Amino acid sequence: MASVTHDVVHEAAAESASGPQPYMNPYLAGMGLGLVLLAAFVLVGRGLGASGAFNSTIAWLVSLAAPGYARSNEFLGVYLEDGTHPLKAWLVFEVVGVFAGALLSGLLAGRVARTVEKGPRVSVGGRLAFAFVGGGLMAVGAALGRGCTSGQALSGGSLLNLGSWAFMLCVFGGAYVVAPLFRRQWR
Amino acid sequence: MSRWISHLTLNQKLGVLALALGAFAVFANVAPGPNVSVNAKELLTSVERREDHVTPPELAAWIVEGRADYRLVDIRDAKAFAEYHIPGAENVPLASVLDGALGRTDKIVLYGDGGVHAAQAWMVLKGRGFMRTYTLLEGLDAWKDEVLFPVMPQDASPEERARFERSLQLAKFFGGQPRAAAAAGAQPMALPTLAASPAVAVPTLPAGASAGPKKKREGC
Amino acid sequence: MSAPYYKLGAFGDEASLIVAFLIGIGFGFFLERAGFGSAKKLVSQFYLNDLAVFKVMFTAIVTAMLGVTYLAWAGFLDLSLVYLVPTYWIAQVVGGLLLGVGFVVGGYCPGTSIVSTATGKLDGLVFVVGFAAGTLGFALAFPLVKGLYTAGEIGTKTLPQVLGVPYGVLVFGVVLMAVGGFLGASWIEKKMAAKE
Repeated sequence: MASVTHDVVHEAAAESASGPQPYMNPYLAGMGLGLVLLAAFVLVGRGLGASGAFNSTIAWLVSLAAPGYARSNEFLGVYLEDGTHPLKAWLVFEVVGVFAGALLSGLLAGRVARTVEKGPRVSVGGRLAFAFVGGGLMAVGAALGRGCTSGQALSGGSLLNLGSWAFMLCVFGGAYVVAPLFRRQWR
Repeated sequence: MSRWISHLTLNQKLGVLALALGAFAVFANVAPGPNVSVNAKELLTSVERREDHVTPPELAAWIVEGRADYRLVDIRDAKAFAEYHIPGAENVPLASVLDGALGRTDKIVLYGDGGVHAAQAWMVLKGRGFMRTYTLLEGLDAWKDEVLFPVMPQDASPEERARFERSLQLAKFFGGQPRAAAAAGAQPMALPTLAASPAVAVPTLPAGASAGPKKKREGC
Repeated sequence: MSAPYYKLGAFGDEASLIVAFLIGIGFGFFLERAGFGSAKKLVSQFYLNDLAVFKVMFTAIVTAMLGVTYLAWAGFLDLSLVYLVPTYWIAQVVGGLLLGVGFVVGGYCPGTSIVSTATGKLDGLVFVVGFAAGTLGFALAFPLVKGLYTAGEIGTKTLPQVLGVPYGVLVFGVVLMAVGGFLGASWIEKKMAAKE
């Protein structure tokens, strides 16, 4: 046990050099994530998530424009039912925290910069178009799947939820099958 | 042993740790077990604030209104239930209250003959996270006294008479009848037969739904 | 049995929102630490040269899973009070495939797109907007997709239930699979690096 702590401290020390840092050991980062997830289970009896916050937000925006329609829409109405403000949802607060935590980590590691992540063979405009379309596709996938990688794969996966494991396998499967087609964007 | 361990890299050590914990986990028993844990402060506060029960007249009003957002649970044995039960009640005997018939997010009103057993069931359910659970104050005893067999007031004021009229209507609805004050404490009144009780359907919920407003979204 | 604290009345709704925020901070922090604010790093998983996504995800799953198992075994955590998303297997299979495609096309998933936006990446922000648009589109088209949305509904099911295997045995199985996967991942990464 002492030996493990010794190594962790060594890795942490190596990280506090200057300039954009190398990323954390994935297994340690994964453990950190796992402990955060465990804290959610123990404190609140639920897992993490992200797509649900988008649903709440869209429900709220639609309710501003067309309240009657929003409430009657079967998908959005659920987020407007019990009388409380749709943005007063657990996931919305959690996602705001995700933003804050990511910013904190990025600042500490010198990794906050205005850039566009892309491979050398695609233009910025092309990359942004793909980002938009990819986001849209994901939204449909997450709605059908009742979650995304955070909610279903991580949270449901660690609870041995059947649907979550099926979902997770399909995410990897779908991605690997399509990856060769989009090589241009990344490499 | 420690020399071998110190030769491993960090990642390998983590792997060994995971395998060890995983292997030991084979023997794990993750079922809730027989114990419940109650938040004493919350429990006692809700009793003091009278948030732990509904009164017979309240329940009677709910039944007359045809409310279907709660489950009425009779915790006595099947024989007592068959002889008489409050219309719309389901029978879940005390000992099997945690066996799965009741949903954790359901709004539940428990009753027994008096108040004690229902209160005991209430405490156990609260300890298992059944947050919307209530008892019928003083159970069937009070149901009989206040709803089925209201006492006829003697030398009553006009308001008291008017109030009694309403109680009378309620009693008639449930197949009961008024009694004179002197009779209180004498021969117990005969309970209406189930045929005389109004037919109130036990609210049936669509599969997967729980009684009451949708619980807070917990999805991802 | 004291946990989950919120479900057993230890604190109220308002406090749980603060807890949500704090947990979110931890979540975002470690995602960024792992480099998941970068689409290139995320997508490398699917070009096999950097399998950090697999390593991080499955380490997280194993960590939380072991934690839950031991805490439930110790009688501290009431597992039956922890929320499980019900299974709609057809919808979830289709959803998963679409999510995978979206991942490669867009470069993020909803959680990591927030991380990416927080660290200044424009493509992350555009992804967020695209995701929001997709959600809106799905909601508006809901009557058409409702059939698919509810397809394959079988209720809340766990792997131990469905496979008839004791919980702990399955936990060990997942750990074995994960550790095996990590060894395999290192091997694949070395092979791909040698090819470059």
